[in-house]
Amino acid sequence: MTFSTGITGIQNMAPELPVQASEDLLSTPMFNLIHSFGVDLHHAESYIGKTTRMSRFERLSTDGGQLDGSGIDPASEVPVRTDIDATMEIYAKSIVTNEQVVLWENSKTLTKFTALLGQWLREKEDLLMRDLFSSSVSYINCTGGVNGDQPSNISLNDVNNIENILLGNDARSMLTNLEATLRFSTGGVRDAFIALCNTNLAADLQKVQGVLLKSAYPTQEGLRPEEYCSISRFRFFVSSKAARTPGVSLLGNTVYTIPMYGLEAAAKIEQNNYTAVIGYRPPWVVSSVAQNSQLYAKFAIARAITNQNWISGLNATTFLPS
Amino acid sequence: MPFTIISQGTFTQPSGGAVSQIINTPSGVDYFKTYNLTQLTTTQSTGRCVMGEWFNGGEAVTGQLNSSNDGLCWFKSSSSSNALNVSSFSAQSAGGFTYVNSQPAPQAAITGTTITQATAAVASATNTYSNGDTVIIYNAVGMQQISGMQFTISSVSGSSFTLLGLNSSGFATPATSFQVRRVSPSLPVNPQTLYVTNITQASQGVVTVSQAHNYQVGQLIEFTIPAVFGMTQLNNFNQPSSKPIVITAITTYGFTINVNTTAYTAFAFPASTASPTAQLFATVAPAGQITQFNAVTGVQTGYNFNQVPFHSGLFIPYMLIPAGVLSPGGSASDVIMWQAFKMETGTINAPVPS
Repeated sequence: MTFSTGITGIQNMAPELPVQASEDLLSTPMFNLIHSFGVDLHHAESYIGKTTRMSRFERLSTDGGQLDGSGIDPASEVPVRTDIDATMEIYAKSIVTNEQVVLWENSKTLTKFTALLGQWLREKEDLLMRDLFSSSVSYINCTGGVNGDQPSNISLNDVNNIENILLGNDARSMLTNLEATLRFSTGGVRDAFIALCNTNLAADLQKVQGVLLKSAYPTQEGLRPEEYCSISRFRFFVSSKAARTPGVSLLGNTVYTIPMYGLEAAAKIEQNNYTAVIGYRPPWVVSSVAQNSQLYAKFAIARAITNQNWISGLNATTFLPS
Repeated sequence: MPFTIISQGTFTQPSGGAVSQIINTPSGVDYFKTYNLTQLTTTQSTGRCVMGEWFNGGEAVTGQLNSSNDGLCWFKSSSSSNALNVSSFSAQSAGGFTYVNSQPAPQAAITGTTITQATAAVASATNTYSNGDTVIIYNAVGMQQISGMQFTISSVSGSSFTLLGLNSSGFATPATSFQVRRVSPSLPVNPQTLYVTNITQASQGVVTVSQAHNYQVGQLIEFTIPAVFGMTQLNNFNQPSSKPIVITAITTYGFTINVNTTAYTAFAFPASTASPTAQLFATVAPAGQITQFNAVTGVQTGYNFNQVPFHSGLFIPYMLIPAGVLSPGGSASDVIMWQAFKMETGTINAPVPS
């Protein structure tokens, strides 16, 4: 006989196509974007330079002012204007793709790459705002924790100390209160300032005296997924990319910075017509033989702490070394 | 084409002493080269680096370049010969190239032995740091009140460095051991928050900070001073009308403010023994600026467009070129030409023919 005999199996007849793509792509990881939340948004016009000025008139002195009937006028006061300036900066990212990738890749690569660039744009913007908070704000070490480190892990006393500072500086809370409801295991949430911290602090937040986890809020409507809990007058939002400095506590552990602020403490300035630019350069432009195309994203941003009185924060370590 | 030249240029080291140079590389860099134009035409009694090369991706190839991937040093060994020798920078115990493509994280810790009680504290530690570097000191036994602070260092030798921003003469004890890490030369955003190490009681208070700063005359600032440091009257909410404080004069490590601090509580560090429960640190943060206009001279002062507006502290990515006789940055007054190359695709470990 000139033919094979026996059972036909995948050993002697392997599938023509060894793999197949599943019905959909898996998720692209994305961290919580928390650092633009709660800052003021301003817009810069074109053709007027790259520095944006935000000005504030400081309040007048309340000293003196009484008239004694002699006809002598009280001394006049020169008002003070504080100028906060920020420099516009442009950031960009591109992906150059060979035509063979587009031709043979199973997924729609150019569409996916466009989505990736859009995600990059928002992530980069978030990190730039994080850097503003980590660089230009005064932080106070936590001391109320029990881990023996400097700074210590976060405690209620530390949180309350920041509330004292903000209230003493006449800061206004950012979020309105959530009224208590007749639901078991829930409690009302006061009007609150905002606190931003790293996800590595989540375990410690749960142990702070008086913490109200998000699930115990009287309502879940309108809450952001990044929110984690409420402690005293602060509602905490977490991100894996929130600021931290590895290995610099007294005991050599990672130090986390937690910006805590109220209304009008910081600003993000967008350049008109340059907020989020995503574009495509076709192969006949990019490549002499029309084989490579290019996708790009770019945006302009300026950032500033607009009122140091209304922003403060904590340096903290974690209860368990991290 | 295998390489495309992205950019090139020259810099001249200051005559008073060479310093590390930073070259911005917006496209990134796969190959970087320096020529010391001054030393190429001279002979010296000791070895001199005349050309440096750096390859991106070389760090993963054991034995191919060098384990630290700080580049190749082409050098003249002595005055008796113009022959070129080649070695890695690390093998010459010289600082080589460092390519930085993200905000630098703190470097590995070094253990130091002492920090003196002196007008300018001196820290003893075997190190490879350079003048002007920024370090963070922690676990300073006997001086825990400074643990966690950042300092600009000067008078650097291989065994010690000086903290010009810290007068520790009033501290109860010296530090008998400490840890130190070199950190980024700048925070991501400027102007940045600074650590306060002293404030005088004077008709115009003089503030000392731990780092060489870039604050400007006319800049507005806000203090955060915990009670353990004394002079809490400078905290904003204690100031009349909560107005920001104005800088009226600057020095490298300090500035004068428009506040009469004569009657304020003296500024003082808490005791080391108060750690870790002492509330640290005293800091000062940028709060805008206020310009002055002289109607007689027509001159507007108190503003610096390059420093006062909030802006990025570092352009990233960049190539750090350290100074030194056997380093690519050269010595005082040397003229250095640099070239940055970018490959179309691939890396040195996975080159793609093109």
